[in-house]
Amino acid sequence: MRCVVDMNMITFSKVNKWFGDLHVLKDVSLTVDAGEVVVICGPSGSGKSTLIRCINRLEEIQKGEIIVDHMKVHEKKTNMTELRAEIGFVFQSFNLYPHMTALENVILAPMKVRKMPRSEAEKLGMQILERVGLVIKANAYPAQLSGGQQQRVAIARGLCMRPKIMLFDEPTSALDPEMINEVLDVMRALAREGMTMIVVSHEMGFAREVAHRVAFMDDGSIIEVAAPEEFFHHPKSERSKAFLSRILTH
Amino acid sequence: MDSEASDFPRGALRPRRKNMLSIHFTQLMQTLPFFLKGLWGTIAISGLSLLAGTLVGLIMGIIRASRYKILRMVIGAWVDLIRGTPFLVQIFIVFFILPEVGIQLEAFPAAVIALSNLSACFICEIIAGGILAIPSGQREAATASGLSSYQQLRYVILPQALRLILPPLVGQYVLLIKDSSVVSAIGVLDVTRVGWLTVQRVPEGLLVFGLVGVLYFVICYPLIQLSNSLEKRLTVVTTRL
Repeated sequence: MRCVVDMNMITFSKVNKWFGDLHVLKDVSLTVDAGEVVVICGPSGSGKSTLIRCINRLEEIQKGEIIVDHMKVHEKKTNMTELRAEIGFVFQSFNLYPHMTALENVILAPMKVRKMPRSEAEKLGMQILERVGLVIKANAYPAQLSGGQQQRVAIARGLCMRPKIMLFDEPTSALDPEMINEVLDVMRALAREGMTMIVVSHEMGFAREVAHRVAFMDDGSIIEVAAPEEFFHHPKSERSKAFLSRILTH
Repeated sequence: MDSEASDFPRGALRPRRKNMLSIHFTQLMQTLPFFLKGLWGTIAISGLSLLAGTLVGLIMGIIRASRYKILRMVIGAWVDLIRGTPFLVQIFIVFFILPEVGIQLEAFPAAVIALSNLSACFICEIIAGGILAIPSGQREAATASGLSSYQQLRYVILPQALRLILPPLVGQYVLLIKDSSVVSAIGVLDVTRVGWLTVQRVPEGLLVFGLVGVLYFVICYPLIQLSNSLEKRLTVVTTRL
């Protein structure tokens, strides 16, 4: 199942970040291989979102190294535009462009960043929208779509750049319960196709089923990284035990 | 005049005044071409200034909403200075004081420069406000998909900000057209100046400045209507989105 191209796609080594006096990432080290799916969980405020936002430098780090697809993200002179085009990012609150239709949302970056002609981009866009099951909504505006549909368009927007990595920042936590599955289904399919994915999520069912590894974060540090079965059944640290008992019994 | 008036019963004055009014009205109608010339002056000065002010204000506003701290502060200070001083004083400075340091300007270009600057400052604040009102997630999404800063602004931020900006912008145009009447103080031939000149020949202030007011209203009213309808249309759109 796991497609083993022995290659590090994302490497964090001793990453530190502060927001003013607040130490939000403390000596974080983590390696993610190509084709691997890693789910990051942990209590809110533990630094999960900040961690994945560092990967495409939506947040800058102050100490340590982040290497993504052989590019040194921690170095100021690295041209991020190029790398960002290779990384799809899905936000908790979708962040679709409200003045554009679903299709326009999806093809903006291919047209402007990849300089793809409109007709070609539209063809590609429709293909991608088909993958997320939203061809019929191609000409709808975000406000005319449900939360689940908006998030699927957002995933399509990331996929349309044919990225090497997809990052998901709590993709289902802003959704009504009945819409969560349609989004998770799309993500499951992506994982099956061998996409490198880091997913910040509390969807433990999804983690169990799809993740190769689960990373547990608390208070800015990665406390534990383990295969899902091991993590859920035999968590090592007290903090992950406490977290799991809270999240699995609610 | 007073003693003369008291010699007459009050009623007797009325027909005479009415008569004078109609004479003055006829006189005023004869000066209409002069008023049209003034109207043209007002339109030319306002039009040029609003055009220049919008362009410069747009650039200033974009910088003011950017992350360049020093530029932001410089523009902020200039905008505060201009907004915090009377336009009449600004126009005197351009017209009477700049020549002291060797910059000689005709009244018309001096008026256009002063009014453009004033417009730019007000428009700058409207534009910056509109840009900053767009949720940060929009810029983040655009950044994450690899768009350059310019592309983010051009395709994501400005089209959304414009919906917020347009109604107050047109409203600001109305205020600036009215402010343009101040340029008559340095002798530019606009509607107000024509009013001043005419009232010396046709001594009927109410009539003359009534006409001046009507002419301003004729220019401003369509813009007020435009601003209102933009407000309605665009709020419908934004609440829908």
